[in-house]
Amino acid sequence: MIAGLFIISLGIFVLGVLLPLAGTWQDRRIFRAGSHLCTIAGSILLGALSLFLFLTGNDIAWTAYQPVAGFSLSFVIDRLSAFFLLLISVVSICVALYAAEYNEHLEGGLRRNLLSGCTNLFILSMVLVVASANTFSFLVFWELMAGCSFLLVMYDYSRATTRKAGLFYFVMTHLSTLFVLLGIVLLFSSTGSFVLAPAGVSPVSAIAFVALLIGFSIKAGIIPFHKWLPYAHPASPTPISALMSSVMLKIAVYGLLRFLLDVFSPDVWWGILILIMGTTTAVLGIIYALKEYDIKAMLAYSSIENTGIIFMGIGLYVIFSSYQLFDLALISLLSALFHTLNHAIFKSLLFLTAGSVVHATHTRDIEQMGGLIHRMPYTAGLFFVGALAIAALPPLNGFASEVLLFISFFSSIAVADPLFKVLLFLCLGLFALTSALSAACFVKAFGSVFLALPRSPESGRAEEVPFLMLLGPALLASACIVLGLFAAQIFFIAGFTVPMPDMFLVGLLLLAMLVLTFAVLFFTASRDVRVTDTWGCGTLSQQPAMEYSGHGFSEPIDIIFSTVYRTKMKNERTFFDQKNCIFAEGKAEIRLIKVFEEYLYLPVARASYATAETVSRFQSGCLDTYLLYVFCAVIAVIVFLGWLA
Amino acid sequence: MIDPALIQSVIRILFAVVIVTAAYIISTRNLISLVSVYAVQSLTLVFMALALWSLEGVTVLLGIAVVTFVSKVLVIPYFIASIQERIRIRRDIEFHFLSPTTSLLLSMALILFIYIALANILEGTPARESLFFFGAVIGLSLMLMGMMVTFSRKRAITKVLGYLSMENGVLLFGMFVTELPFIIEFLIIIDLVILVILTTILTVGLDSTLEEYHQRLHRFHLVGDTEDGP
Repeated sequence: MIAGLFIISLGIFVLGVLLPLAGTWQDRRIFRAGSHLCTIAGSILLGALSLFLFLTGNDIAWTAYQPVAGFSLSFVIDRLSAFFLLLISVVSICVALYAAEYNEHLEGGLRRNLLSGCTNLFILSMVLVVASANTFSFLVFWELMAGCSFLLVMYDYSRATTRKAGLFYFVMTHLSTLFVLLGIVLLFSSTGSFVLAPAGVSPVSAIAFVALLIGFSIKAGIIPFHKWLPYAHPASPTPISALMSSVMLKIAVYGLLRFLLDVFSPDVWWGILILIMGTTTAVLGIIYALKEYDIKAMLAYSSIENTGIIFMGIGLYVIFSSYQLFDLALISLLSALFHTLNHAIFKSLLFLTAGSVVHATHTRDIEQMGGLIHRMPYTAGLFFVGALAIAALPPLNGFASEVLLFISFFSSIAVADPLFKVLLFLCLGLFALTSALSAACFVKAFGSVFLALPRSPESGRAEEVPFLMLLGPALLASACIVLGLFAAQIFFIAGFTVPMPDMFLVGLLLLAMLVLTFAVLFFTASRDVRVTDTWGCGTLSQQPAMEYSGHGFSEPIDIIFSTVYRTKMKNERTFFDQKNCIFAEGKAEIRLIKVFEEYLYLPVARASYATAETVSRFQSGCLDTYLLYVFCAVIAVIVFLGWLA
Repeated sequence: MIDPALIQSVIRILFAVVIVTAAYIISTRNLISLVSVYAVQSLTLVFMALALWSLEGVTVLLGIAVVTFVSKVLVIPYFIASIQERIRIRRDIEFHFLSPTTSLLLSMALILFIYIALANILEGTPARESLFFFGAVIGLSLMLMGMMVTFSRKRAITKVLGYLSMENGVLLFGMFVTELPFIIEFLIIIDLVILVILTTILTVGLDSTLEEYHQRLHRFHLVGDTEDGP
């Protein structure tokens, strides 16, 4: 019966794909609304059955299609899959509510139908990746997910920046698929099967793990494979940015966890590798986020940081498992999973509210915003909840998951090896730094966007968004609060006992402190009313240019991390005479170096291009040359059979 | 009844003849003698098939001998010889990648290389000591020598003869190593393909390099200009 419900939910998603496509020739809202309704209905059904399976621990299995023996599209939903399906469902419902209104304000006419249909296909592909029972199904739907997301990124293809972002994303996502494919092929060569079953300990499985880790890291945005995120997220329509950042990245996390838990027998160095990758990503991600002034790019970098935190949890899980510290391993794994859920919730909330702000102000530059709390109070309130959650302030959900990870780190005193202890405490220090910087980043974001005076005419004219664009984020904000306040109870219901404080009590305590502070201030403050203008250095009124800008706020942090933000100075001068004595004019430029792009991506791209040029010489168009290749190939086969086979 | 040892000796001599003809094809510049040498090589294969037939009594070998004799000793050489009468070029002096001397030296190395490779593959099996091992070595060598001719000569006609020689290598290898009925089928199809190619060449122009032949083919189809024809 449960399997039947799962198939029905898939069917509803398929209907959501077909409905707007059937009306492609008609630019009518009804088709798109129908599609979004299908997303919501399918997600509710899927969420309900995932929740049921997660709480009861029952599994369902189903083979949809088996063309030949060994190759089948099979699905299984166990607790891990159910957890991720629940995550997909919750975010999809809220995003669909938001998109039902947001998409109507987009340019593109009939393309909006395709956007709605393709969004459903994207969600469906993610559901099927998570539900895949074997590596063959996993790869098929992984590629479907990559293709759909590329099309969605390219929605506004008429812009050069979108085309560049799309191309960048296309290359990176297929690089990810290539590594995942390599890992799966290596596993198949080792086990002879596509089933997600233990592969044993061998050099081949270690290489397969590295290949899969790289593949999933590219998709999850782990540094140095992260560069597609700050391009693709700003270029995509807001609901797509939200889905990609909060759900698609988590599918990569799911892939890594699924292979680690079901297929591999991890060694301790695997955990160290994942932990170091996670820590580097978390620290650098938030440092780059602090420097961003494009609100969506800033959120993209923040996603990179949070994925790094999730990887830290997974790395700790592997390390503690290797040392047979299973209780600590479980806490680490739970912290990673809980942070996965929480990040999905608050990041989609932040993306949706940021999309509302961009929709109202027609700019993504936070320095052009300001004063929106008076014009968009509900959006400001919702963004504030998201910012509190991501800054890991109690009693919201971001704090609940990060505190678990802190507990795991503090418990690493149980590891006997002193070198590991040093490494773990170093990572703990960097994690604490990340949390602090994250708070600073969102203070800057909220302050620049919502407080003070508008810094552009568009911000001054901004209006609150329609109801549906508030409803989706409001549900997510509620989830942030509930998941934070009742974190301990949720773990208890799920069947886990974790050493974390009762967040509800913490919340009550904080509320009491707030009330007390307010009461003290209220009763002790002077009752004399004095009405006067703030002294404005002699000017008659406050001007936007006098405000504390985002640049100003982050300047001290910029100075501290100036070694990370490397700059390049460029001088161009022209002279009237040939001996360069009489200066005519000049231009000086100081710009931030895109370190990974300029020192990693571009050299690799240039080397690939040079290799392609060299290889293209082999295709000379001369028959004799081709015959020579055949001759050489035959000789190579004989050598292989005679000496190597 | 003929003594099997004598037949085996004859087959060994025929192996030597095949190698000599292959070496001649790879090194000669004379187009007239090329066809005759090819016919001699094919005839050697016919004798070899007959010798094997007398040794093993498999009638398919007799079929191979007949088909080979008709197609490769009579029809194809006749076809090519009749074409050669029409063209004036008697020598092929244009080479690609390898000169005849280098090709010859490379062929010697190639035979040695294949001998060692097959010896490694068949090490410890009864086939290692038998006549079939030499058949396989000579067959593979002939195939690769034919391939060398196809890419080292520029004239289309020499390439075709290289290809035919290569196919003789496949036949030889098949006679000694693999299943026969399949090989017969294969041979017939390949021979038909070659006949088609030869006919096309006859139509458009034989006295040319392959590049020129392509150009002529294009011109022939595009404007119907036949002044460049044979």
